[in-house]
Amino acid sequence: MRPDHNPTIGRVVATEAMPSGTHQFQFWTATDTDLGIGAIVRVNDDSGRIVYAVVTDGRSYSDLATPLHDVVAAEGDPAAKRGPTRRTEVRLWTGAVLRQEPEEPLQPVPLAAVSLATKEDVEFALRMDSYVRSETAGGIPIGIYTGGGMSAPVYLDADFLLGPESAHLNISGVSGLATKTSAVEFFLTSMFQTFPAHKGSIAAVCINVKGPDLCFLDQPGELTDVDREMYGQLGIDPRPFEHVCYHAPFKADGVNLNTLRSHHELAKSVQPLVWGLREVLDYHEVLLNRDDIDAKSDAFIDFLTDRVVEKDFTDEWGTTHRVCTFSDLERLFRSIFEGLEATGRSDMWRTHHIATIRKVRNRLLNISTRCKGLVTDDGSVSDLPFGSFEDRSVHVVDVAGMDQLAQDLVFTRVVSKLREHLERRDLGVECVIVFVDELNKYAPGDGPDTYVRKMLLDISERGRYLGLVLFGAQQFRSQVHRRVVGNAGTTLYGRMDMDELATPGYQVLSPATKIKLATLPKGELMIRHPHFTQPVFVRFPRPPILPGPVGVQKFPPAKEVDFEDAVVMQLSTLDRRILPGRVKELIVGHRDDAVRRALLATRRAQPDDALAFFEAALGTPVAREQVTGSVGKTTRLKQVEDPYAS
Amino acid sequence: MVTRSAGHRIRDAILAANGKVGGSSVLTHVPQPLTRPFGSAEQLEHECVEAVAVGEPKASPRGTGFLDGIQRYSVVGRFGLVPVVRGYVAAAVLGRRNENLCVRHQVSEEFVATSIGRLSGEQLRELENTRLPLYDSGGDDREHPILDMHLAARVVEDRRERAEQRVILSYLRDRPEGWLVVDGSIAPYLAEDGASRILGLIKSHETQFLEGEDLRTAMTLPVGHRSSVFARRTNGRDKAYTWYLRLWPWDDRGLLHGLVRLELAPVDEAVVQASEISAWMLSERSPLSAPDSRWDRLIYPMRQVESYLRAQVGEWL
Ligand SMILES: Nc1ncnc2c1ncn2[C@@H]1O[C@H](COP(=O)(O)OP(=O)(O)OP(=O)(O)O)[C@@H](O)[C@H]1O
Ligand SMILES: [Mg+2]
Repeated sequence: MRPDHNPTIGRVVATEAMPSGTHQFQFWTATDTDLGIGAIVRVNDDSGRIVYAVVTDGRSYSDLATPLHDVVAAEGDPAAKRGPTRRTEVRLWTGAVLRQEPEEPLQPVPLAAVSLATKEDVEFALRMDSYVRSETAGGIPIGIYTGGGMSAPVYLDADFLLGPESAHLNISGVSGLATKTSAVEFFLTSMFQTFPAHKGSIAAVCINVKGPDLCFLDQPGELTDVDREMYGQLGIDPRPFEHVCYHAPFKADGVNLNTLRSHHELAKSVQPLVWGLREVLDYHEVLLNRDDIDAKSDAFIDFLTDRVVEKDFTDEWGTTHRVCTFSDLERLFRSIFEGLEATGRSDMWRTHHIATIRKVRNRLLNISTRCKGLVTDDGSVSDLPFGSFEDRSVHVVDVAGMDQLAQDLVFTRVVSKLREHLERRDLGVECVIVFVDELNKYAPGDGPDTYVRKMLLDISERGRYLGLVLFGAQQFRSQVHRRVVGNAGTTLYGRMDMDELATPGYQVLSPATKIKLATLPKGELMIRHPHFTQPVFVRFPRPPILPGPVGVQKFPPAKEVDFEDAVVMQLSTLDRRILPGRVKELIVGHRDDAVRRALLATRRAQPDDALAFFEAALGTPVAREQVTGSVGKTTRLKQVEDPYAS
Repeated sequence: MVTRSAGHRIRDAILAANGKVGGSSVLTHVPQPLTRPFGSAEQLEHECVEAVAVGEPKASPRGTGFLDGIQRYSVVGRFGLVPVVRGYVAAAVLGRRNENLCVRHQVSEEFVATSIGRLSGEQLRELENTRLPLYDSGGDDREHPILDMHLAARVVEDRRERAEQRVILSYLRDRPEGWLVVDGSIAPYLAEDGASRILGLIKSHETQFLEGEDLRTAMTLPVGHRSSVFARRTNGRDKAYTWYLRLWPWDDRGLLHGLVRLELAPVDEAVVQASEISAWMLSERSPLSAPDSRWDRLIYPMRQVESYLRAQVGEWL
């Protein structure tokens, strides 16, 4: 029993035509009331039964039987002076039951007094008591419920957010007003600060798909006093993320990074994302499935991956190939074509038709062109630190400036790698949140069944057992594959589009709730969460992070520079003492890709003496071996055979 | 030639001889004879009754109260032929605060009415044990099932009048100023202190005090007009000052449509105030009390008192 309740503001009423049910009921209040749609109320029956409910609809009417009577009273003149008495009027509200006490037997809502919920009532009504107060508590603040002059923090249950009970979070709403990106940023802040250590370690991988959106997660943003007060109430320190690492591919030139976070003060935290032949071949389905890749091509690619790549492979004409890069691969293809031509043999090479070989060759080499900057043909690799993810670290993978095909490749490979490592339990953290904005682009409801979408479906359905959690955002939920949104245990809605609300997915919402959603101010959300029987409205503060558009003003992206200057600049972000002249002297006579590789190795190693390291890396092949040893974590460089080195 | 219907022929005849057409809908029931069809009047304002234009509607003064009462009764059982009646009466005054009506005073009473003289000692004791007030409905030695019910009903009516009286008294006592509009005649309250602040609003016109041309003038008042003020005799030797007022146009609707009679205690100011008070009543036409069938004469606040009291009793039984 919870005897303390607020003063009575309404009474439950029921008629035969409009009875009180177990899940819905009507009550009336005075015409001047603090109540509104989304408010949480409590029904207090003398018998001891208490019902908690959220207001989903409100109507008002008077005892006027027909509008004609008003016309008669005004003698047909709308401007006629109003009578001295106001008609009796009713404010009739619909409440949707959140929780009943006792829960069994489940009974219709009693015809009793209604009061506004207290803070404790809100906690109980939303069943938060079970995960906010318990021993193994895992309540993550998502925002503040306000109603009738009272406010109370609202928590989500970590077990239902990150698994194993249920998982994933999805947020919808119109562009610019729904505050989707901001809400996710705020919530990640909240989660990183409040996720209890006993539940394990977590990290986040955010795919930045739009401009500078997620480029300044480590920079403090401006907050209002209201925001700060909300942070106080939620028990969160409004500070930006501490461990953020950025990963961005190069632009086509191979030295300038393809990201808006290229200001020299921040450049140090951006790691280039560079993949080689092996990384691409492993995910060839992404690149090839759009076209008519068939079983024959598949078989040939399998042959390449199993028998050729990174192995000593001797062809029929006596040449031994070691294919580690796209260039090596091209050399192999040329050797095959020339060999076949010279010997005038059939159209087949080792059971593969020459047409198939040509097709695969064209596709693969095309990739290194379309994804230039991401895919190198010289064999150097720079990747996310799979295996050494740190607790509460954020990895932003910036694909905003990339070709769609390259975005798909990055996305698929990053997620697949996360999955592999989580399955083997050697990622470095137990749980990783993948935040994908514009989910409709990657998992559309209709359109071809792409590899990317299949993978997202797979995470949605099985990720919770692995600790692979998807935070997805999109404008229109109806445009995302049903199983992807349907599997999100928690759903947030910002300001919504009316046409979207008219689609079948929103039929469960009352008309008043829909109108409220269509007019929701910035910073307010509607939440569906497994513990909440009904959707609940909350407010949340601005994220304590520099918003993307403000960030690019404060930290304007570095101007694109020519090759030499880019090398100088990147080295000087590692060590300010480096003299430009010295760098330029060093690289004279070296091929661009050799310089790129040395630069990449230096950036990754972040050594104390960057210039010395760079010089060593640039020097002789022997020196390169030493470099690899000191990098430690990756073994890729060891296998690199620079065709132009000698 | 097409034969015109009887109705049309009669209308034509009335119009041809300068009559007015329009009246009631189809009736089937022949009403009970009137108990007091005639009373007498004494002209105060004019020698003959005149139609006086009231002017623009005007809001009644702040603090005006509206009184009404209700009654409910039922036969719970009988001792032999003697009916045992359970009765409930209530009365309330509503006042206006910021255009909203709210309850100022109210009383209610639940009781038993029966013919006490015909009960045995035991029967009486048992009824007394109910701890409800017990009222005697009397009755002759000779029993009559219908007449005995009428007598019980008289008790109920009497209790209601007393309930109303109690509310009126406490209202007048608590509020040294302001008008109180009551439903019906003010005759029962003439002796009270403050009776001069009571305004009776009478909707039925069973008793006619005027005759001849005076009656014709009063009964055919145009909308927004009142009759001259005249005095009528109440039960005893007391007098009430009274006049008719037409709230709604009555053409086509029947003679009594929108016609009310207002009553005041016999004070000299009555004649002076008649037009102003009539203007107040005109302003009460909005909001309309429809769908109540008496909307043409029932003002909205009065209907609200009634609705309030009815809602209070609920199903009652
Ligand atoms: N809690 C908040 N209170 C008030 N305003 C906010 C809040 N959070 C964000 N905003 C403002 O709302 C605007 C839009 O935010 P945001 O970029 O997150 O929206 P979005 O839904 O992601 O838009 P888009 O679909 O274009 O990506 C920003 O200008 C931001 O400053
Ligand atoms: Mg956004």
